[in-house]
Amino acid sequence: MIPASVKRQIAAIVGPRGLLDRPEDLMLYEYDGSVDKARPELVVFPRTTEEVAAVVRIAAEHGIPVVGRGAGTGLSGGAIPVAGGIVLSFARMDRILEIDIPNERAVVQAGVVNLDISLAAQPYGYFYAPDPSSQKACTIGGNVAENAGGPHTLAYGVTTNHVLGLEAVLADGTVVSTGGKEVDLPGYDLTGFFTGSEGTLALVTKVIVRLVRMPETIKTALAIYDSTEGAGRTVSELTARAIIPVALEMLDGVMLRMVEEATHAGYPKDAAAVLLIELEGLREAVEEQIEHVREVCLACGAREFRIARSAQERELLWKGRKNAFGAVGRVSPFYYVQDGVVPRTQIAPTLRFIGQVAEKYGLEISNIFHAGDGNLHPIILFDARKPGDLDKARAAGEEILEYCIAAGGSITGEHGVGMEKKELMPKLFSDDTLETIRDLKKLFDPACLLNPGKLLPTGKGCLEIRHPALGRDLVF
Amino acid sequence: MGIAYPVPEMQIVQPQTVEQLREALVEAQRSGRRITLGGAFSKRRMGGPVAPSEVIISTASLDRVLQYEPRDLTLSVEAGMPYAELSRLLDQHGQMLPLDPPFAEAATIGGVLAANTSGPRRRLYGTARDLVIGMKFVTLQGRLVESGGMVVKNVAGLDLAKLLIGSFGTLAVIAVANFKVLPKPPGTRTFLRNFASHREALEARDRLLASPLQPAAVDLLNPAAARLVGYDGWLLAVEAVGNAAALARYGREFPSDFTLESGEEAQFWRNVQNFTPCFLERNPQAAVVRVCCTLSGIAEVANSTEAPLVIRAGNGVCYAHFSSADEAAAWIRPDWKAVIEFAPEERKGELELWPSPGEDLAVMRRIKQNFDPDGLLNPGRLYGRI
Repeated sequence: MIPASVKRQIAAIVGPRGLLDRPEDLMLYEYDGSVDKARPELVVFPRTTEEVAAVVRIAAEHGIPVVGRGAGTGLSGGAIPVAGGIVLSFARMDRILEIDIPNERAVVQAGVVNLDISLAAQPYGYFYAPDPSSQKACTIGGNVAENAGGPHTLAYGVTTNHVLGLEAVLADGTVVSTGGKEVDLPGYDLTGFFTGSEGTLALVTKVIVRLVRMPETIKTALAIYDSTEGAGRTVSELTARAIIPVALEMLDGVMLRMVEEATHAGYPKDAAAVLLIELEGLREAVEEQIEHVREVCLACGAREFRIARSAQERELLWKGRKNAFGAVGRVSPFYYVQDGVVPRTQIAPTLRFIGQVAEKYGLEISNIFHAGDGNLHPIILFDARKPGDLDKARAAGEEILEYCIAAGGSITGEHGVGMEKKELMPKLFSDDTLETIRDLKKLFDPACLLNPGKLLPTGKGCLEIRHPALGRDLVF
Repeated sequence: MGIAYPVPEMQIVQPQTVEQLREALVEAQRSGRRITLGGAFSKRRMGGPVAPSEVIISTASLDRVLQYEPRDLTLSVEAGMPYAELSRLLDQHGQMLPLDPPFAEAATIGGVLAANTSGPRRRLYGTARDLVIGMKFVTLQGRLVESGGMVVKNVAGLDLAKLLIGSFGTLAVIAVANFKVLPKPPGTRTFLRNFASHREALEARDRLLASPLQPAAVDLLNPAAARLVGYDGWLLAVEAVGNAAALARYGREFPSDFTLESGEEAQFWRNVQNFTPCFLERNPQAAVVRVCCTLSGIAEVANSTEAPLVIRAGNGVCYAHFSSADEAAAWIRPDWKAVIEFAPEERKGELELWPSPGEDLAVMRRIKQNFDPDGLLNPGRLYGRI
């Protein structure tokens, strides 16, 4: 237990309304968007970097683990306090500090919602490019921690390509600034190194991001297929023809029906798969490219190729895509989202394998994914109330990820390793690699207090630690 | 390929395999010998002084293509692969790795990454930190460490490649690099426009960047630099990419004094890309300063010297070319984020090459300590500070 005296010290920093410790409140902070759970002992809501640093210093003094939390939309358990301790919520650090259009930058606090950056830049004709499906809720701090992606990262790149500077609090409470509004600063790229470190090296408090000019023309098309093979083939054929859309998303038949029931976005319920294809840029270029795309889709067996005729139609198609997880929730109260990546040419065989896995475990698996960069999101439906079902879902997920590794891919494209995939790390990386990561973790966080139990597999993480608050030993 | 070793009479190790590289590093660590590390050593004058060392290790013989699947738009090569050779291979498949570094004819991929060199088209395509999707490097402890992989989206593990890019060989030795590559655009055209002042040129740049046109390169050369590539005045050089209709639109909306295509266009950009190497070759005592600033901060830099300036006007990176190291050192203002990138070897020891590092230098030094506790790997090469 965190002693009452420590709670009082923390309350003195963040104010009496800046922390929660009643069981009914703590319950709300025991989960994120993944399937795991663990309850914190205290949730703290700092308002400034100085308050974050002060809380971290107290935690360090008393050996209490600290887990950063944005909106809790993460899909790998990144915000779950496995070792108990403090959840440090960035909910009150939600100010956009600067929209600097002449320099194409925004400076924001870690708790700012992803979409709010784009909304603030929109009046000037600019936006923030990485667009995770949860962008209406997820925060930039969480995006940096997980190196989040999204449909449009196919053309624009992921979070790390758009983050140029950070302010972060280290495990001992030191505040450090890395990078800046400028590019190419000399020295090691600490901004890039911290991005995607899943809250295990530092707690990010402020972020400097790139703003991108909005395109002149956007065209969104829907290609409808009677076989997933044809859709998969289209993806590699587009690449071969040197066409790189800004987004290239695939939804399979199972997914289409769930999405259409929930959103009425105009997706065909009888198709085997659709591709949602978006092109943008200069009017002249887009008009020519969309015709090339149409040719490729039809040549690969699309039965229909539709172009959204208005902004409303386009938004509706994207609403269907981005609310897909919500649509799944209507059908199945429990689901498990995977995030494997395969080389683009391996999409069709990987989909076949996923079908076999579904059959083997007797589970329904629907697919929705970023086809353009080979980032799959098989969604495994299960019923946690049925004994053994969650275990079956986990086993099916693991088989799919092992297949991705064997196909030359990765276990996570944008969700992060977190808790759920950490035991797969040795299948992807050598001992030498894991030991190097562990050494760096120890360098930044010798007492293993920042988001313990994430990213590294058991035995390769921090050494066994005596957890003073829980009064027991934990092995990470 | 000729390799000009810094000190030719010293013991030179040029491993043929990653395993041999590992052995060489372990051996050096065991015997406490300091290492001068490089690829083709084309950028010897870049960065901090090449410190006295007991052994030279070059990765130039690790030069194989490990994997290239054009339909996946990914490529894996060993670090010693010459950048020029790699570009030719990609070109045969209608693809490219548009880093456009200086010294492109001699440099190895490992050297390009270690020095984080880049070129004009970074406005559209980014730099090494955007195009590297995976890396393998060898540490002094003999570990073969992996970062990322062979897919374009991957967040498994820590992004260790970011630490190695721009590290000047001070942490570990890059053995393999994986890239995402790009299809070549259907067409390119370059528009050159003269201005009487930097202010007018930057106003034109602002209008261009705020317009729907999104060029690949936006470079600004001051009169002294423009003269060296055969033009006058403040020269704004814009490379457009796209189909015929898009290129025609640039012609309409970005009025220019000269339009360059095909051979002439390629020659112009080669001159810009090689500006620094050519300047250094002609001026043995020269020093080159890189100032990293915001887009609006360019004006102050542009206005502060008549020495040849090549400016990535769409990114905020300025390269100033001085005929002596003293001029270079005197020019840098204390509030600038600047380094003396190139200086004569014999002057490096006494110059402050990286005058105003940020407070994060302390964190960088801890990382250096973690990888190289005895300070054996390219000591001082990171602009004299690490």
